[in-house]
Amino acid sequence: MYDHPHAPSFDEFLAGWEMDLYRDPVYCGVFAGIVLGYLGVFVVLRRTVFLTAAVSQAAGLGVALAFFAQIHLAIEVPPMLGAALLALALSALLALPLQRMLISREALLAICYLLAWAAAVLVGSRIRQESHDISSILFGSAVLVSRSDLWTLLILGGVSLSAFLLLHRGMAFAIFDREAALVQQLPVRAIEFGAGVLTALCVAVATRALGVLPVFAFSVLPGVAALMLLERLRAVLLLAAAIGALSGGAGYLLAFFQDLPVGASQASVAAAFFVLAWMLRRLGR
Amino acid sequence: MSETLIECRGLQVGHGGRAILPPIDLEIGRGQLWVIMGRNGNGKTTLFRTLLGLLPAVGGRLTHAPGLSLAYVPQRAQLDPIYPALAREVVAMGLLRGRSFLRAGRGESRFIAEALERVGAAELSDRPFRELSEGQKQRVLLARTLLSRPQLALLDEPTSAMDEVAERQALSHLDWLRREHGTSVLIVSHHIGLMRELAERAVLLDASCGEVEVGAIAQVVGSRLFAHNYGPPAPLLAQAAATEARG
Repeated sequence: MYDHPHAPSFDEFLAGWEMDLYRDPVYCGVFAGIVLGYLGVFVVLRRTVFLTAAVSQAAGLGVALAFFAQIHLAIEVPPMLGAALLALALSALLALPLQRMLISREALLAICYLLAWAAAVLVGSRIRQESHDISSILFGSAVLVSRSDLWTLLILGGVSLSAFLLLHRGMAFAIFDREAALVQQLPVRAIEFGAGVLTALCVAVATRALGVLPVFAFSVLPGVAALMLLERLRAVLLLAAAIGALSGGAGYLLAFFQDLPVGASQASVAAAFFVLAWMLRRLGR
Repeated sequence: MSETLIECRGLQVGHGGRAILPPIDLEIGRGQLWVIMGRNGNGKTTLFRTLLGLLPAVGGRLTHAPGLSLAYVPQRAQLDPIYPALAREVVAMGLLRGRSFLRAGRGESRFIAEALERVGAAELSDRPFRELSEGQKQRVLLARTLLSRPQLALLDEPTSAMDEVAERQALSHLDWLRREHGTSVLIVSHHIGLMRELAERAVLLDASCGEVEVGAIAQVVGSRLFAHNYGPPAPLLAQAAATEARG
């Protein structure tokens, strides 16, 4: 492996860990990997992979609007609240019956993604924060994770995982055979809406803390990898959560020791797990 | 007269507010076996989905008996091909109704095993559903229907991927469900010879001619609309008799 001339040693890492320099970003990466890896299985099975990308962009726009309101309108809006509100607004929009508008869900997701992206860049250009990279203000950086972001993710992630465990059987039926579940009078639309809102909130909060790239990677790659390897939903969910956790933690260490961008390293580790799963699947046949 | 489970009066079915068939009158009673016939693209699935409440009616009246419990087996192409579940887990979905999914599913394994055994699929119990052949998948879905013990089971071409022996067995299971539990069965099928043996009543749809025939199976098979769609009934019945003799 390429040895970076200024790469820090393991002792330096331990010293920094003792000084509480790296704990929050590592914990945040690991926990976001667990939560998004788990929820991502349902995202993949429901064929709404692009949803997490669109929600990430909407969350970024929410952060930008919060800063804009603070700087130009003197209205105090916490950035995390801005991210959550825009993510929820997007989820509500996607829950509308779209058949009569002759727009597919996939096309609407793409439209929302593009609009949110463009608007975040435009609003971001009006925020004067010369000392910071604007993209890390809008989307987080996975390096500087605040304690409040970590706690928000822990609480929201814990609530979401508990809710998904409670709804597990109903969600599984609704995904496998939606119409039969409707016929057997399961509250399919309520389950889908609740799951969509919780997923959107988790994505928004994780995006604010870590950035778009690792969040999108955690929401897709662990789920796809686990689905290739295992034949039972519960086992798939556990493996996806484990892959997400390893990607978050190992990705941070890779970035630290090789002096690489953290988000890209976490996404790359998740991608390596996907490749490994693909190879194992091929070998198993 | 048997208890009515579904009543349609001048029911019009279609998409986007446009009816694709003329108004339909029918009453599905308890313990009856109905077959819906028609060539591809003639509105069978649209009628089916309307009766299930999955599509809004374009016009007329559709009444379900209060508290009517339904089960549905969709066409095989509608199921998710990557969903990870064992065959017995798919069968267990038959036990879920309303908010019962919030409770833990303890003590279900015996009923699931019985349902799989009844359709001759006991050996499939621990096999991944997504790796089964299409015919095996249909047997598992049939076990799910048996387990749910509905008042009315609606099955959309549930035996289309089965061989002749498996199909005959599957239909005999549905007949058992009807006789033992009074379950009514509404089935979409192209196997008219076999259906003529089992079904009492039929609906024949022809969207291209804008005609519908509803009534006793013999009446529908003997109708001008049937001859227009499938040719004279005699060869079909002879074919069914030959199949019976071979079996």
